[in-house]
Amino acid sequence: MATASGPHDAAKSSQSTNASSRSLSDDQFSYDDAIVRMFVGATILWAVVATLAGVIVAALLVMPSLSGGLEWLSFGRLRPVHTNAAIFAFAGNAIFAAVYYSTQRLCKARMWSDSLSRIHFWGWQLIIVSAAVSFPLGITQGREYAELEWPIDIAIAVIWLFVFGGNFLMTLVNRRERHMYVAIWFYIATIVTVAVLHVFNNLVVPAGWFKGYSVYAGVQDAFMQWWYGHNAVAFFLTTPFLGLMYYFLPKAAGRPVFSYRLSIIHFWSLVFIYIWAGPHHLHYTALPEWASTLGMLFSLMLWMPSWGGMINGLLTLRGAWHKVAADPVLKFFVVGITFYGMSTFEGPLLSIKAVNALSHYTDWTIAHVHSGALGWNGFMSFGMLYWLLPRLFQTKIWSEKLVSWHFWTGTMGILFYIVPIYAAGLMQGLMWRAMDDTGHLAYPDFIETTQSIVPLWWIRVAAGVLYMSGTLMLMVNAIMTWTKRPPVYEVPVYSAPPLASEYHDDAKPGTSSLEGAPVLEVGKKVDLFARMGWHRKWERLPIKFTVLVTAAVIIATLFELIPTFLIRSNVPTIATVQPYTPLELAGRHIYVSEGCYNCHSQMIRPMVAETKRYGEYSKPGEFIYDRPFQWGSRRIGPDLAREGGKQSSFWHWTHFENPELVSPGSVMPAFDHLLTSELNFEAIEPHVRAAAMLGAPYTEEEITGSADLARAQALKIAGDVVAQGGPANKQDVQAIALIAYLQRIGTDLFRTDEPEEAGATETEPAETEPAEAEVAVMVP
Amino acid sequence: MIRDLVCSIDYSICAEMALGLFVVAFAGILFGSLRLSKGAADKFASIPLHDTVEDPRNV
Repeated sequence: MATASGPHDAAKSSQSTNASSRSLSDDQFSYDDAIVRMFVGATILWAVVATLAGVIVAALLVMPSLSGGLEWLSFGRLRPVHTNAAIFAFAGNAIFAAVYYSTQRLCKARMWSDSLSRIHFWGWQLIIVSAAVSFPLGITQGREYAELEWPIDIAIAVIWLFVFGGNFLMTLVNRRERHMYVAIWFYIATIVTVAVLHVFNNLVVPAGWFKGYSVYAGVQDAFMQWWYGHNAVAFFLTTPFLGLMYYFLPKAAGRPVFSYRLSIIHFWSLVFIYIWAGPHHLHYTALPEWASTLGMLFSLMLWMPSWGGMINGLLTLRGAWHKVAADPVLKFFVVGITFYGMSTFEGPLLSIKAVNALSHYTDWTIAHVHSGALGWNGFMSFGMLYWLLPRLFQTKIWSEKLVSWHFWTGTMGILFYIVPIYAAGLMQGLMWRAMDDTGHLAYPDFIETTQSIVPLWWIRVAAGVLYMSGTLMLMVNAIMTWTKRPPVYEVPVYSAPPLASEYHDDAKPGTSSLEGAPVLEVGKKVDLFARMGWHRKWERLPIKFTVLVTAAVIIATLFELIPTFLIRSNVPTIATVQPYTPLELAGRHIYVSEGCYNCHSQMIRPMVAETKRYGEYSKPGEFIYDRPFQWGSRRIGPDLAREGGKQSSFWHWTHFENPELVSPGSVMPAFDHLLTSELNFEAIEPHVRAAAMLGAPYTEEEITGSADLARAQALKIAGDVVAQGGPANKQDVQAIALIAYLQRIGTDLFRTDEPEEAGATETEPAETEPAEAEVAVMVP
Repeated sequence: MIRDLVCSIDYSICAEMALGLFVVAFAGILFGSLRLSKGAADKFASIPLHDTVEDPRNV
C-alpha cells in the first residue's frame, strides 16, 4: 500500500544531501517540499474549519435560535463562510499542495522562486482570514461564491495571477522534462480561466472600502455571475482535481494512466465545453431563451468528456484492484472518482429545462453540490494528503487504522448527507407545484413545505458531524505523523542538465511519408499536417499552450457575452421601473449584507405554480437597477420578487423581531439587531453616487441630498409602523430602511401614479440606455 | 453609427456558430490524439512515475 512505501520512490541521481537549492549548480536541482508541507497543513486546518462551518449552518437551519441573537452568527452571514472555506480555503489549499508537489516532479525542476511560493502561501491564507472576518461582519458583494469585496478581490487577482501563475509559468519555462504531462495542462487551464473569471466577474465601482457596486446590472449581472459561478466549479473544483488525479492516482497505483489519448481528448473537450454551460443556472428566469438553451446544450455535451476523465481514472486501476482493497489511499481515490462520475452525470441531467424546473431552488441542487464537493473534491484531497504525509514527513503514517476509519466515516457521512437532502429537494419541489382538483395550490403556505423537510435537515446535521469527524481524524493523524518526523528532512539532489533551447523532432521535419508517391502535392501537405507534429509542439511550449487555452476560453465566453450585452431585446426597458430611493438603496445594502439572498429568491419563473404562489412572473426590465442582482439560487424561504405591498410595514417589523410571531414554524432567525441599530444616513450618499455613476438617473441634488431624502422617507415608514400598532420614534433604525426596500420590490411593474405611463409593461426594445430612458424623477 | 451597426447584427446565429466551433475543434483534437504513437503515449503516460529525469528526453 502507498502509505507503507518509502518517502522517495524514485531513484536518486546523486547522493542525498541537505544542500539548499542556491548552492546547486545548473545541472543539479532539488524539490521544494517545505512549501508543499505548508499547503498540506493549511488544507487540513481549513478542512476542519469548512466542515465545522457547514455543521454550524446546517444546525442553524433547524435551530435558528442557536445564533443567540448575535447578528454575525446568522445563517445568511455564515453560509458564505462555509462555502468559501470549503471552496477557496480547503479545496484551494489542496490544489496548491498538489500543484507544488506534482509540478516540480513533472517538470523535473524546483519551483522558479521560493520567495513567490511563500508569498503565495501567506497571501492566500491572509485572503481566507479576511473572508472569515468580513462575511460575519456583513461585508459582502451578495453574489454566490464571489462574495468578497473589491479590496480582497484585488489581492486575489495579484496573488493568483502574478504570484502563483507567474511562479508556475516560469517553472514550466525552466523545466527539464520536454513533454508537459497532461496534469500540467489542467493546471494551466485552471490558472488562466480562474483569473479571467475572477477579474471580469468582479468589476465594480467602489462606494467605500467595504462596498463595491457591480458594473453589471440585473440580467447581465446574473449572466456574468453564473458564467463565473459555474466555471468556478469547472476550473476550480474540476480541472485542478483532474490534474491531481492524473498525477497522484498513477503514483498511488504504481502504473501509468489508462489512456493518454483519452486524457488529451477529454482535456480539450472540457476546456471547450465548460465555459458555455453557465446559463443552465438561470433556466426559466429573465435570461434570454437562446442563452438558456445554449447553456443546456453544452451542459449535456459535458457528460461525455467528464466521463472520459472518470473512465480514465478508474481504468488506471485495471489489474490493480487488489491494491484497492488494502490501500486506503486508493479507496479514497476510487470513491472520489466515482462521485465525480455521479456528479457529472447528474449535472447535465439537472441542466435539462424540464428537470431544472423541478429541481431549481430546492435542496436537490444542494445534494448535487455536496456529492461533488464531499465526494470528489474531499476524497481526492484526502487520498492525496494520505499519500503525501509519509513522504513529506519522511516517516510512516501514524495510524493506518485511523485512515481507514476516516474513509468509512467520510463515506457514510456523504451518503447520510445526500440521500435525505435529495429526498428533501424532491419533496419540496413537488409540494411547490402540487395542485388540488380545483386548480389551486395544494400547499399554499410556504412554511408547510419547509416544515415537511426539517426532519431531513436534522439527518444532514448528523451526517455533517460524521464527515467532519473524519477531517478531525485526518488532523490528528497528520499531527502525530509530524511529531515522528526526522530531526532534519532529507533533501535529495538530482542531476540533469537543463533542456536544450533548440529542439528537433526525431522524424525528419517537413517530410511526408508520401514523398515519392504518385499523389498531388496537397495530399503530401495534408499527410504532413495530419502527423500532428504541430500539436506535439504545443505540448512542449508552455506559453503558446497557455495562450491557446486562454483563446479557447475567451472565444467561447465572447460568443455568449457579446449578444447578451448587445441585444436590446434581451432586456426590454419598462417605463415605470425607476431607480431605488436613497433609503431603499440603503435597505437593499442591508438585505445584501445580511445574506437574505441565501434563503430568498427574487425571481418568479413563468410557471403556473409560481405565479399562483407569488404573483406575476419576473420581467428582465425590472432588474436594470439591481446591482447586484438578487435572484438567489435556493428557496429556504419564499420568493420575494413581488414582496412589495404584500404585508404591512409593521408586519415586517414584527417579522424581524421574531419571525415566529407572524409566521409560526418559520426557520428564519430573528433580526432584532436591525430594530435597534442606527442607520447612518450620511453614509448613504456614496451608494447613490455609485449607482448614478453606473447609469441610474439621479440628479446632483438627489445625490447630495440623499441623507435628507432618506430621512423623509424613513419618517413616513416609521409613521406607518406606528399607525399599524408598532413602536414610535423608530425612524432612525436600520429596519426602517430594509422595510422601505422590501415594500418596493416588484412594485414598479404595476405603478399607476404617473398617468402618462399608466399600464406600461413590456415594451418594444428601447432606443436608449436605462439611464436615458423616459423614467419619472425619483420621489421618496 | 457603430452602435446601430452592432445592434442590427443578428446574434441568433451565435448558438449554431458555437456548436460548429466546438465540433471543428473537437474533431481536430480527436484526430490528433488518435495519431499519437503508442510509444509516445506510453512514455508520456509514465512521466509521473519517475521523479528523476528519464533520458532520452527528446521524444
